[in-house]
Amino acid sequence: MREETLAIIFGMAVVTFLPRFLPMAFLTRWVIPERVKMGLGYIPTAILSAIVFSILFFNGGGEVVIQPHSLLSAVSVFIFSWKVKRLWASVILGMLVYWGLEFLL
Amino acid sequence: MMNNDQFREGMKAALPVVLGYLPVGVAFGLLARNAGLTPSEVGLMSLLVYAGASQFLAIEMIFKGMTWLPIVLATFFINLRHFLMSSHFSLYFKNTRIPLLGLLSTQLTDESFAVAISNLPKLKNNPPYLIGLQLTSHLAWVIGSIGGALFGPFIKISEYGLPFALPSLFICLLVFQLKSVRHFCTMVVAGVSALFFKWALQGNWYILLAALLAGGVGLVIEIMNEKQKAGGGRQEGHG
Repeated sequence: MREETLAIIFGMAVVTFLPRFLPMAFLTRWVIPERVKMGLGYIPTAILSAIVFSILFFNGGGEVVIQPHSLLSAVSVFIFSWKVKRLWASVILGMLVYWGLEFLL
Repeated sequence: MMNNDQFREGMKAALPVVLGYLPVGVAFGLLARNAGLTPSEVGLMSLLVYAGASQFLAIEMIFKGMTWLPIVLATFFINLRHFLMSSHFSLYFKNTRIPLLGLLSTQLTDESFAVAISNLPKLKNNPPYLIGLQLTSHLAWVIGSIGGALFGPFIKISEYGLPFALPSLFICLLVFQLKSVRHFCTMVVAGVSALFFKWALQGNWYILLAALLAGGVGLVIEIMNEKQKAGGGRQEGHG
């Protein structure tokens, strides 16, 4: 393996590790105020929503787009998982709808 | 015995992530190979870095002939979003020793985080479960990448709806989080502001900024509700 590539890989590994590790290491040791804990409770919803919306409304090139194909699949998964509450079934359903729409749209 | 069971439960919980990671890993391996990386370098990067978005960006930068420093800096800023996930995890691992926390945190990704928090009773103070979940996901990522580097052109990854496996996973796990109107508001604020931040700013700041903003909104609504209840309670007391 080449040195430059190794430097890139190890450098990336270190800077990726730090924000993954430091909050867990410190916050598990500190006493966290109730309000901060309450705020942290909303972080999963917020992160997931940010990820989902950006997947749905941006294309690979970073442009804002309306993609009926993805949007219709997304709405089906949303409704289905709301009703059925099963992770596996929702993932499979999403894939099937997306696959099926390829033939229709 | 107990630990083994928990580990296995974690592995099972990881399967939807595996389904999503394999094709994306293959796509990564294929692109990395085209950018000039050897299969062993591809495998090493997926093993040690294990962060999809930044790996794809690094490959693009390597392809353009950039040196290690800008690549490492870009990686840092993209992966800063894990800061919030790691903070959230800290709520559940109060009693875990630091070296074990180190192991848990090296394998923290958006996807495994999302699956882990969908089952809090399992997750709480249960490192074996999280290790099973994360190790399985990590393995799928490494195997997918190396597979893509070796056999990329021969593997079909854009069929059978595979490109929508991870988006479906995220949407479903988002729905599982919507336990109250406050969570629903948080979702809307996070989604809309993420679109704005992504459109307005370079790089991957949008997840971090949108999450902080929307988390703050959720918190403020909860505090307001509390005050209202407390106020209502007092009034009843007077009456």
